[in-house]
Amino acid sequence: MGIVLVVDDEYGVADLIEAILTDEGHRVLKAPNGRQGLELLTKEQFDLVFLDYMMPVMDGSMMLRVIEGHPELKRIPVVMMSSMPEDNVAERCSGHVAFMRKPFSINEVIKLAMRFIPSSTE
Amino acid sequence: MTDVGVAVLERVQSGVPGLDVILGGGFLKGGLYIIQGPPGTGKTTLGNQICFNHVAHANRAVFVTLLAEYHARMMQHLSVMKFFDASKIPDQLSYLNGLAALHETGLRGFVSLLRKEVTSRRASVLVIDGLVTARRLAPDEQAFNEFIHDLQAVAIAAGCTVFILTSSRSDVIEPEHTMVDGIVELADELAGWAAESSLQVVKFRGSGFLRGRHAYKITSGGVVVHPRIEALLSRPSRPDQGGDGDGRVVSGLEQLDTMLGGGLPEASTTMVMGPSGTGKTTLGLEFLAACTDTTPGLLFGFYETPKRIDAKAAGVCPALRNLIDSAVVEVLWQPPTDDLLDAYGERLLQAVKRRKVKRLFIDGLGAFQSAAAGSGSDRIGMFLTALMNEMRILGVTTVYTLEVPDIMGPSIRTSIGDLSSLAENLILMRFVEAGSQLHRLISILKVRDSQFDQSLHEYETSSQGLIIRPNSESAQAIMLGVPIVAQRERNSGPARTGRRR
Repeated sequence: MGIVLVVDDEYGVADLIEAILTDEGHRVLKAPNGRQGLELLTKEQFDLVFLDYMMPVMDGSMMLRVIEGHPELKRIPVVMMSSMPEDNVAERCSGHVAFMRKPFSINEVIKLAMRFIPSSTE
Repeated sequence: MTDVGVAVLERVQSGVPGLDVILGGGFLKGGLYIIQGPPGTGKTTLGNQICFNHVAHANRAVFVTLLAEYHARMMQHLSVMKFFDASKIPDQLSYLNGLAALHETGLRGFVSLLRKEVTSRRASVLVIDGLVTARRLAPDEQAFNEFIHDLQAVAIAAGCTVFILTSSRSDVIEPEHTMVDGIVELADELAGWAAESSLQVVKFRGSGFLRGRHAYKITSGGVVVHPRIEALLSRPSRPDQGGDGDGRVVSGLEQLDTMLGGGLPEASTTMVMGPSGTGKTTLGLEFLAACTDTTPGLLFGFYETPKRIDAKAAGVCPALRNLIDSAVVEVLWQPPTDDLLDAYGERLLQAVKRRKVKRLFIDGLGAFQSAAAGSGSDRIGMFLTALMNEMRILGVTTVYTLEVPDIMGPSIRTSIGDLSSLAENLILMRFVEAGSQLHRLISILKVRDSQFDQSLHEYETSSQGLIIRPNSESAQAIMLGVPIVAQRERNSGPARTGRRR
């Protein structure tokens, strides 16, 4: 099982992803903005990040840029999330490995976790 | 010498149809405004509409939610609105959730966050949805008041117009009501089985505004407000020049002009009353058939569709059909159950101004009355008075029909009080039974500042239109119960006089 970081300013969204992945056996940490997300990233060995695009303080594109520029963090797969179509965010988020459009289904979250956390498939 | 008059405050237009008119041009830049109303009245739609209209003009805006509603769900709902433009998100319009910041840092921290976001995103409009959450999380009343005060400081310092959306009730005076620059209240009420929405600007510092309630609808284009016609026209759009209305215009029926003492007074209003089937619409069509290129006409009707009008014109008034084809006369039809009173008034005014209409025929005043059903009994009189005053000022000669319930007999009952303020000229059309025959009689009850023929005249509606007998003898015979005289006269009497061409 893996460790997942969910960065989203909407409590409800972060809580929902946490509940889904916890049921799947993963450990989930949450942050309400990019800055706090980066702080957590340096404290744990994360296997996957769910990252919201529009947030206060530091938005998703900025946090992704920092991750991409970091020699160790850049290995962590990032799933970008937005209520807008992927085309709207693609230009600024070239480093993400997957995109999840809000609102999402439970299965979408589980499938993405299975795709990027190898142990999920066992 | 420089102008030392009243300073002109910079405005931020909402872009919401009708609202900027009510506000005298828009909200004031850097102001703090509350938009309040019960759930379902369209506060969030209005807030978003303001944001999208703002960014459509190369500006930037931020929408901050303090509610449990997910942005994704809100976007889904907004995506069907015509004002929604996904390409503006997130570069020009950002959606943020402030609940986490509010929980973690309190009201002070939240305001600090707003200031930074507004500054860094160079936003000139900020919408905060869910003031109730901030109030709930405030440690005490003092802290909440300071929060509102701090928001005002952000608005002024950043030159950012701030809108707070909340479900507060207007009958409860909250401290924030006294602190903000303006309050716009949305309400929803039942009128019989139908729901009617109204918007009221309760407070608006630094500017005049149209007071009272104004109807609105939420359409696929967003919120559309219809300023109350009598408030909008409380002062006519231009001063009465006088003189213009001293002349006479033809009614379209030569004999009627004679009865009127030389035609209809120019720029006057004429009410044609009568029960269904007496030929009121035909009289109106004859009136429009006298339109010319320099005196264009408009038929504003509710009950007869353009096709039926066309067919009717072809039958009784072919000249009108040509005028419609050549756009000298426009036919505007609206289903009588379709819209709000002020929406009808707005459409009528726009159509008159657009084509500089000089001859207006409104077929079915009762539809206005039905549309006003939920607005209080005195509303329709004020509405029509304002509308007709404006028509006079615009130099429009207006003829409109009003159906009266009594089919026969001498009594006349109308459902609209104080007719004298609504019509300067009154024409009555009625049925009279005499023997086994049904006869139609027309009479003039009033003409503005003028003498007129006070006698009854018999008339017929035929394939040639409306034919009024030149004298009152046949009518007199009918009223005396000796219609045979009228019949004899009809067979061998003087030539009929019909429409003026």
